[in-house]
Amino acid sequence: MTLISMKDSDGREEALRRMLLIREFDSTAGDLFADGDIPGFVHLYIGEEAVAVGACAALDEEDFITSTHRGHGHCIAKGLDPRRMMAELLGKRDGYCNGKGGSMHIADVDANMLGANGIVGAGPPLAAGAALTCQYHDEDRVALAFLGDGAVAQGQIHEAINLAATWDLPAVFLVENNHFGEGTPVEEQHNVENLSETAESYNIPGFTVDGMDVTAVNEAVEEARKRAIAGDGPTFIEAETYRYRGHFEGDPQPYRTEEDVERWQQRDPIDAFTEQLIDRGELAESELDDLRAEVEAEIEEAVEFAREADEPTPEEAYDDMFGEPVPEIERFANALRTDGRGGDPQ
Amino acid sequence: MPTPTVGVVVNPAAGRDVRRLTGSASVSDTYGKRRAAECVLAGLDAVDEPVDAVFAPDSSRIGQRAVEEADRSGVDVLDVEVEGTGADTRRAAAAFRETADAVVTFGGDGTTRDLAVEIGDVPVIAVSTGTNNVVPTMADGTVAGAAAAFVATGAAPADAVATRHTTVTAEAADGRSVRGLATVGLVDRSFVGTRAILDPDDFLGGMVSRASRGDIGLSGIAGACTHLAPGTPRGIALDLDPDADLTVSAITTPGVVEDVGVADWGRLDPDAERTFAVDEAVVSADGERELAVQDTTIAVRPVADGPRIVDLDAVFERAPTIGE
Amino acid sequence: MSTQPDTPSADSTESMTVREAIRAALREEMDRDEDVFVMGEDVGNYGGVFEVTDGLYEEYGDERVRDTPISEAGFVGAGVGAAASGTRPVVEVMFSDFLGVAGEQIMNQMAKMRYMFGGKAEMPITVRTTEGGGMGAASQHSGTPHTWFAHFPGLKAVTPGTPKAAKGLLKSAIRSNDPVFFFENKLMYEQDGEVPTDPSYTAPIGEAAVEREGSDVTVVATQRLVGESLSVADDLAGEVDVEVVDLRSLYPLDTETLADSIRKTGRMVIADESPVSYGVHAEVVSRMVEDEFFSLDAPLQRVGVPDTHVPFSTPLEDEVVPDGDDVRSAIHQVV
Repeated sequence: MTLISMKDSDGREEALRRMLLIREFDSTAGDLFADGDIPGFVHLYIGEEAVAVGACAALDEEDFITSTHRGHGHCIAKGLDPRRMMAELLGKRDGYCNGKGGSMHIADVDANMLGANGIVGAGPPLAAGAALTCQYHDEDRVALAFLGDGAVAQGQIHEAINLAATWDLPAVFLVENNHFGEGTPVEEQHNVENLSETAESYNIPGFTVDGMDVTAVNEAVEEARKRAIAGDGPTFIEAETYRYRGHFEGDPQPYRTEEDVERWQQRDPIDAFTEQLIDRGELAESELDDLRAEVEAEIEEAVEFAREADEPTPEEAYDDMFGEPVPEIERFANALRTDGRGGDPQ
Repeated sequence: MPTPTVGVVVNPAAGRDVRRLTGSASVSDTYGKRRAAECVLAGLDAVDEPVDAVFAPDSSRIGQRAVEEADRSGVDVLDVEVEGTGADTRRAAAAFRETADAVVTFGGDGTTRDLAVEIGDVPVIAVSTGTNNVVPTMADGTVAGAAAAFVATGAAPADAVATRHTTVTAEAADGRSVRGLATVGLVDRSFVGTRAILDPDDFLGGMVSRASRGDIGLSGIAGACTHLAPGTPRGIALDLDPDADLTVSAITTPGVVEDVGVADWGRLDPDAERTFAVDEAVVSADGERELAVQDTTIAVRPVADGPRIVDLDAVFERAPTIGE
Repeated sequence: MSTQPDTPSADSTESMTVREAIRAALREEMDRDEDVFVMGEDVGNYGGVFEVTDGLYEEYGDERVRDTPISEAGFVGAGVGAAASGTRPVVEVMFSDFLGVAGEQIMNQMAKMRYMFGGKAEMPITVRTTEGGGMGAASQHSGTPHTWFAHFPGLKAVTPGTPKAAKGLLKSAIRSNDPVFFFENKLMYEQDGEVPTDPSYTAPIGEAAVEREGSDVTVVATQRLVGESLSVADDLAGEVDVEVVDLRSLYPLDTETLADSIRKTGRMVIADESPVSYGVHAEVVSRMVEDEFFSLDAPLQRVGVPDTHVPFSTPLEDEVVPDGDDVRSAIHQVV
């Protein structure tokens, strides 16, 4: 069973709802960050929603994904709960990582979501490994790695693709080409126009797809998944998309103009898909309003949940380092418990 | 007399779609396209008189780079906007309509069709950069450049070596329409999606402007019914049905030969119409899904107004030689 | 304390080399758990450049004994992904000098995943790798970087000094749901000793082993220097009563066994073939100073590599790679 069947109208509405949910989640996260409620860094996915939703819709619940530092969209598309995501962003104990991960490390291994990742290009080797597990256990599961255009210049993704291709691992490498690697345009970082040309070195199919079109991404990943399940090995997909916000919130974006952004916004993936569904008579304007209201309420509730959630206690800093705890860390934890000093210097 | 001018259009996106996954379509990389475009310049020197070259700019800067690195004079880049879509080709074609004596394109059927919309009477040497193309032919860039030079200088007169291609149109009841150079089809899908025809079984029917058993896709299916040479001002309408009694064997996609059920087929003269009633389908043109339609009728018809496509063999038959 | 027996029994033994002990551990764990598989460069048909995995490929097939491309970031990373998703990989990195090639996947993925995810990821991966000078392999194939891994939070690191420890620790490493680095000194592969044959025998990670009891001075040694220290202790018998402890586990580190020993001897030499500054030696010294300051009768001594790389030429290499003579000199400094 794929996560969302985009072959029927209910599934298509669900895909739209998830795209709206991602946008609302990230708009809200941007606001909370601006208000100082979220520490650290936040990288927003706004503009790229069709890639995460189109791709995850084609996956089975049991399929693995690895994500990037811009991972909120992938999490929501894979079905993670926005309440616990928001709690994580706010550093709360009820967050997916009990407040230890934050925006860049949200993960839910139970949902086969192997983590957002703060290191550019680190996900594909993990996905190759998860695909190895699928192959080793002889299961009809795949692992999909989301990676950015910037990651295509990283050595380790090439090692991962080579390994996956050589071993026919059931993996899908999905590049989100949002046209900027951090603050530098993609064409200044790569000598090829189509990043999908990468595939040719590894003797696997590689192609470029419109990342602003959720049905196009969905079809492409569906076909790639079929190939993976059939034992024919990985596929390399480049989805052309665009991030509307800066690399991180607070990025002054000297590398582009507002007009550049507006040009891409004319092809907005949510507007385009909404229009298609309305044209098809599957969605009435009033239903769209309801959907938007529902999504807003869901995110509002997520924020409320996150705000009300408990902060982790200092002792929890000493938890979770190992499956089998070590005396070294116990010693610091005990010190905190007995004299309130813990790992802090005297 | 101004210097004869050859226009060059390279579609950087051609040969890079999902058919690399779903079929056995070969890959066309940017480096190969760049070298092919550069070869055109060398080919122009096959004629004695000077020939200028103007390259259309493209989002991969293939044309721009060919000009920057050219070590001959009379090479320039067309001053048009680039947005990274098929509109780039159409804009270039509109400019070449007024300024070029021949045009070389590198791309697939889609590229040639985009060019055809605006190119007018300028003879077109259409070079394929993929495998599953009907109109463009496989040729070395140097050879294409030489052919263009012979045509542009008049050594091989366009009237003798180029044939006006018939086009096909599909129009929905609400007036929305799609034009194809070789084919328009009706595809059993709901969305334009990846644009490519992922499964030949999805074809419900359509219209072709040429048909051969050696063509791939809808033209190949029609070609198994009857042969229709390119340039014949006529079309073949097809109504496909997997359960039809009549089946034909055709190359439906690279790497696949299969039996296709044909419920009905027939020749159509220019501007004659065949209509299809559809509840839900996508109209395709030249192998690309273009327009999603619902609960409508689609009228397809051949139109004898396409581009003038140059036959390379015909050019070189007429090219000057030292013997008689 | 080290007098505790390794679990559960070590009654029935067989003499074998370190190489055979490691191979036996791999075989037993692969038999015990189908999710255990081995991968690395030339570990399959070739049998491993040091022949450690010899015969396993024929026995378990290419799915479970996998040859990888020369691609440490790729296959160590894949090992991390495989471990996080439900298998139990044993990854061989041919020389520890190559670990840097996989640095990112070790530092930011393997070590951090469980913690960053709030404890919700398991990381049952073992990385086996070789260390040490003494075979003219020069700087890029002779390093002893185990300190880095003992130092890096989220990783466990073990350094067996006997065949028995090699078998027991590797089995524990494979069974552990934490990432464990298993460092094999290259010169030890032919070293033999008695090894328990019971498949349920393991040596717990985080426990040192007193290999020889003594009352005058404690030599805390790792890897090859355990054997060399035992020889020195034999030579000095009657003159100095030397206690030799195989540290076995660098992280977690068995402070208790070391403390018990120093309470008895009051003197300690730490012998570890790694650069002396900021190393294992320093950590042991620090813990003894913190916990047993008033048991110390003499300055603690460090024996290790004098902060150089390992040079190629034999006289140069001999100069920097520590051996029993260095241990003996250190003992004489304090006794």
